[in-house]
Amino acid sequence: MTDVLFPPLSTQRPDAEGVVTRWFVADGETVSAGQLVAEVQVDKVDAEVVAPAGGVLRVLVPEDGTARQGAAIARVDEV
Amino acid sequence: MTTTQEPLSTAPHGTHRLTTAKAVAEAIALEMRADPSVLCLGEDIGAYGGIFGATTGLLDEFGPQRVIDTPISETAFIGLGIGAAVEGMRPVVELMFADFMGVCLDQIYNHMAKIHYESGGNVTVPMVLTTAVGGGYSDAAQHSQCLWGTFAHLPGMKVVAPSNPYDAKGLMASAIRDDGPVVYMFHKGVMGLAWMARNDRAVADVPEGAYTVPIGEAAVAREGSDVSVVTISKSVHHALDVAERMAADGVSVEVLDLRSLVPLDRTAILATVAKTGRLVVVDEDYQSFGLSGEVVATVTDVDPGLFHAAPVRVANPDTPVPYSRPLEQVVLPGPDRIEAACRRVLAV
Repeated sequence: MTDVLFPPLSTQRPDAEGVVTRWFVADGETVSAGQLVAEVQVDKVDAEVVAPAGGVLRVLVPEDGTARQGAAIARVDEV
Repeated sequence: MTTTQEPLSTAPHGTHRLTTAKAVAEAIALEMRADPSVLCLGEDIGAYGGIFGATTGLLDEFGPQRVIDTPISETAFIGLGIGAAVEGMRPVVELMFADFMGVCLDQIYNHMAKIHYESGGNVTVPMVLTTAVGGGYSDAAQHSQCLWGTFAHLPGMKVVAPSNPYDAKGLMASAIRDDGPVVYMFHKGVMGLAWMARNDRAVADVPEGAYTVPIGEAAVAREGSDVSVVTISKSVHHALDVAERMAADGVSVEVLDLRSLVPLDRTAILATVAKTGRLVVVDEDYQSFGLSGEVVATVTDVDPGLFHAAPVRVANPDTPVPYSRPLEQVVLPGPDRIEAACRRVLAV
């Protein structure tokens, strides 16, 4: 099991919360390592999130849900 | 009949889900990998990835020799692109907002568009001019225009404006491979940007590899039998929303996504009007002297008898786009105005 982390976007406010703006992969779908899975945003800066490993993606934070930078927004279960 | 009959945004094109912005960037990346003569230049297209995300990731993969951030001098860098194209490169040049055409129009319509003709066909200009268009987010009179009618009016340039990720990727591949200049106009509201209003029509499955969507072919975005809405770009989304709404009342709306202004798929326009007899043209550009009149004339030039009712145009009135949010919503051709127009042509 590998956590998919909210990337650090604000160095000035490392504890700032951001929003998961888009999941490109649905909960339960199989992903490969490096595949684009989500887009997140802190203030007006957005970033892509790629799968850190291959497996089945389990969404922990839904679209439009908030999370702290560095927090797990999903996990990838090895098949 | 050149119309593609498949419904585009809902068809299972692939398992690779992208926003329109990412689809544009992916198309450019695939062409750059395949052809070393393709390069990108413009303001903030490198490290920033394009202010509307059309070039995200390209600098990392291809480096500053092929992805060139330019100073704020549109005349200079568009001229640079034209020179590179004349010498055999295939530049993709981004004019940040179409509204800025005023400072660089000489390069665009006197040089990029005319060199092929002036040289007796001996010199080609295989260049793509990409530019962001459209309003709806309070960016006011100098950052909210579509202006595609202006580019389309001036001869020598193909003009395309995709409405969804699949078409955006395929049209970009076609534009880069085209041996003439193509103006590629992406509406900010179809790009699927995180900081814009949420738009699920801006995300779709596309194939992973390269493919083309032909320039000059419209697509039936939704089949219907009672009234035809002919439109392009962001307005396709509004038209599809209206079609869903009116289907609940038993009205069958056909939506034709023109996808290109030049060449205009007049065959597809005639086909849909021949089918329904009722036409609503929706255009987020200024109403007078533009696309909406051209679409109506396409029918009247051939057979005005195809109309069972007078066609209705829904466009920006001939006024600058207001900053004020409520005023802007009045000016833009939104769903309520489109639905009212459909009911008007159906009432006759």
